[in-house]
Amino acid sequence: MIVAKLIDTTLCIGCKACEVACQEWNDQEYTLGTFGGTYQTMPDLSHNFWNLIKFNEMERDGGTSWLMSKYQCMHCADAGCLAACPAPGAIVPRANGTIDFVHENCIGCGYCITGCPFDVPRLSPTTKKVYKCSLCSDRTAVGLEPACIKTCPTNCLTFGERDELVRIAEARSVELKADGFADAGVYNPPGVGGTNVLYVLKHASEPEQYGLPKDPQIPWTVSLWKGPMKWLGSLMFWGTILGAFFHFVIYGPQDPAKHGHPEKEDEPSDKF
Amino acid sequence: MTNSDEIRIPRFDAYERVMHWMSALSFGYATLTGLAIWSPKLYWMAAVLGGGFHVRGTHPWSGVVFAVMIGVMFRRWAAGMSLDADDRVWLTRLHKYATHDHGALPPSGRFNAGQKMLFWSQVATTLALFATGIVLWFPESMPRSLRLASIALHPLAAIGSITNILVHIYMGTAAVPQSMRAMLRGYVVPEWARFHHPKWYKAWRASHHS
Ligand code: HEM
Ligand code: SF4
Ligand code: SF4
Repeated sequence: MIVAKLIDTTLCIGCKACEVACQEWNDQEYTLGTFGGTYQTMPDLSHNFWNLIKFNEMERDGGTSWLMSKYQCMHCADAGCLAACPAPGAIVPRANGTIDFVHENCIGCGYCITGCPFDVPRLSPTTKKVYKCSLCSDRTAVGLEPACIKTCPTNCLTFGERDELVRIAEARSVELKADGFADAGVYNPPGVGGTNVLYVLKHASEPEQYGLPKDPQIPWTVSLWKGPMKWLGSLMFWGTILGAFFHFVIYGPQDPAKHGHPEKEDEPSDKF
Repeated sequence: MTNSDEIRIPRFDAYERVMHWMSALSFGYATLTGLAIWSPKLYWMAAVLGGGFHVRGTHPWSGVVFAVMIGVMFRRWAAGMSLDADDRVWLTRLHKYATHDHGALPPSGRFNAGQKMLFWSQVATTLALFATGIVLWFPESMPRSLRLASIALHPLAAIGSITNILVHIYMGTAAVPQSMRAMLRGYVVPEWARFHHPKWYKAWRASHHS
């Protein structure tokens, strides 16, 4: 069963209880953030802060508007971090759709940071390994829901079977449309095969306004590196080695005695 | 009476030999550690070399040593590596060189045109490896567009460079007997010099045997 988290951004009241629950359950040390003059706790994710409620404050719809969004790992079906990771076993896709970082196997190269279309993984300056939301894989493994979901007071967050949540999300956007939000819809980007974190957005045609990429994909340079370039590398490597070997078998070494030639015999002799 | 085999023509002084083998060793280490994280199929090499985390830590440093050594090599050799008229003809007859038809080749100086091309392509790939390597080293302080480009360009430059060096190792060990002695002990014998580098040999003769 593939599990998912549904974030109905229209129900978020910005209480940030989920941030606290995440910090507590994952036993994160507290790092002082910077105050940017908004209601947001932190400016960005960090290696010890995996779940950020963004207020996305802007003037629109005839007044000041907060397009609430929850910024964390999306647990992509087709995960860019995994595609980019060179260390076997460092990023593990679980049977339930969770993308888990296994820190013992992480070599700290940071390729996942580049591969992730959502800019989620963060390097720790002390351990030199990367960290992000695990969808509380240590809770879901024993049948508990993730800490953020457990805490949310408004039902903005729901956890459950993915297909079921997609249906709930679709139904909710129909409801929102009926309420006059014509642009309401579900964020479940097909470019990465869908995500196991789903959003209901009031302005679904403008996900950028929520800090979500419009059409996230595994970067093509990562795919090139992972795919065709491996072939090119093997071809060049073995081609050159075999080429050199057979050159030797056919022609042998260069030999002044055998391959010398008349013109060069005119040159000053070494025998004296 | 001297036997020609006992005449030693100095080819590479100690400075050149050390700089060459320093770049070869750092290149070798960077290649092994780089290949270890290039493909999951080669990841066993990381275990042999001290584990993936260690390999990720040391690979960039060996790259820095290598780049510095190529810089040293550049200062020492670049001036003598430009192609002259003979070299340009030589390159169009590369197949003659490969098939030991040496009579069809214009005479070479201290380095032949193939060696010069190796030098320049190593300089170019090293520049590319260095620039992209710095970007990949510090992912969190580099713009994403540069990182995305480097993820593809760093290995591409490495493929080019490793291919060059494979050919180079073949030439230096098997294809051109006695060239190893030049790079290890520093000298060659007249017969070798006269055959492989006639113009260089003539210049040496002119200055040593009036
Ligand atoms: C471990 C592998 C290597 C071996 C066995 C090797 C061997 C040699 C030998 C025998 C020579 C002397 C050729 C002559 O007398 O004309 C030479 C020269 C040279 N080597 Fe290497 N080398 C190795 C690695 C490298 C690396 C990694 C580089 C730089 C990236 C390099 C760059 C050069 C250059 C530019 C020259 C002068 C031109 C030439 O001979 O091609 N070598 N090497
Ligand atoms: S959001 Fe980023 S880190 Fe999370 S699974 Fe997708 S690619 Fe990986
Ligand atoms: S930093 Fe760790 S998890 Fe990320 S790509 Fe490198 S080895 Fe994989």
